[in-house]
Amino acid sequence: MIGSRSFTAFLLAISLSLSAAADPASLVTWAKGRVQSGLLQKLKAQDGERSKFSRGAQPPRERRARIVSSELSRDAKGRGFLLYEVDVLYGDTWETQLRGCVYEKTGNLFVAVGEEHRPVAFLFGEDVEAVPGVCEVSPPADRS
Amino acid sequence: MGFPIRRLPARAWLTFLGVGWALIAFASLQYFQPGRIAPFIIERMPLAFEKLWRASLLVHVVAAVVSFPLCLLLATRWLQRRVRLHRPIGRVAGLVVLLALVPSGFVLAFEAKGGAPSTIGFLLSGVIVLVAMVRGVAAARRHDLRAHQHAMRHVLAQMSVAVTSRAMLIGFDFAGVEPTLGYVTALWLPVVGSALVVEWMNTPSRLSLSHLFKSRPLAPAVPLERSPS
Repeated sequence: MIGSRSFTAFLLAISLSLSAAADPASLVTWAKGRVQSGLLQKLKAQDGERSKFSRGAQPPRERRARIVSSELSRDAKGRGFLLYEVDVLYGDTWETQLRGCVYEKTGNLFVAVGEEHRPVAFLFGEDVEAVPGVCEVSPPADRS
Repeated sequence: MGFPIRRLPARAWLTFLGVGWALIAFASLQYFQPGRIAPFIIERMPLAFEKLWRASLLVHVVAAVVSFPLCLLLATRWLQRRVRLHRPIGRVAGLVVLLALVPSGFVLAFEAKGGAPSTIGFLLSGVIVLVAMVRGVAAARRHDLRAHQHAMRHVLAQMSVAVTSRAMLIGFDFAGVEPTLGYVTALWLPVVGSALVVEWMNTPSRLSLSHLFKSRPLAPAVPLERSPS
């Protein structure tokens, strides 16, 4: 039963991804939803567990995701991705706090840490290394 | 032998700091989870010298968790009257502060949130602790207990910034103050304010006033006759 549900979900994700690939507007909607579910919702859950007696920043009042471009960019391996930014609200001021990218088909999310990009699991405390080449736009001639 | 009401503010202050220490110590457990990175570290990255900074953070946390309660204990009349206990505990606290807390704090200061104003604020606090601890130890060695008390109050005052600063951060967050402005303000006000309060406590006018109203004895905290010759 669980297996058939997983398979249905998988087919649904594939079909959504394929339909998103065909239409830029739905691609942006899909990417925004992916950032929402894979990043913002988890960050909100993490906010509740944070101690107020840490010197770390207090959670913002609100977060919102923006997809920077409606067209797919491609990395050196030819994989398509969209760049996103996460804005946070402190007081009355919105500011951009996170930048990264979401890959089509896989839905993998990465976040910029300085010049490199790491899987978003990094933001949830996992000691994951940077992945070279991800989220970096590559000219068509350089793609393998 | 009634309840000494005149000591109530001092006891309330030490209790407040003790509770603050416990909350900070509990919150600091996140730094020691293997394979995990604490949110505070994630916020600071990327770091120029990541391994050095992260090692310094762990040293700083352990040194603070050990030395802060010892300094609170040393500030109590109860321990100040027990010279044989006060002296070794003071030595341990002094060594931890001078060899671990201050040096690691200096490393952390250069990557402080809030940029240069925070860096300067943390360095100033560290320098006050360093100078006061050295002067306090020297004063104790020459049995100048008034100077020793004055210096050690500066050490404890700067350590109290860990608690007062966090309390202000919570208040600023509640009031919706911009985070960086709030962070720098919540650092500088306690650092400068604590130093000024200690100096005020040591002013001759206040000492004479307190003597006039018998609110605090002018005699050294540690009775001279019990100090070694």
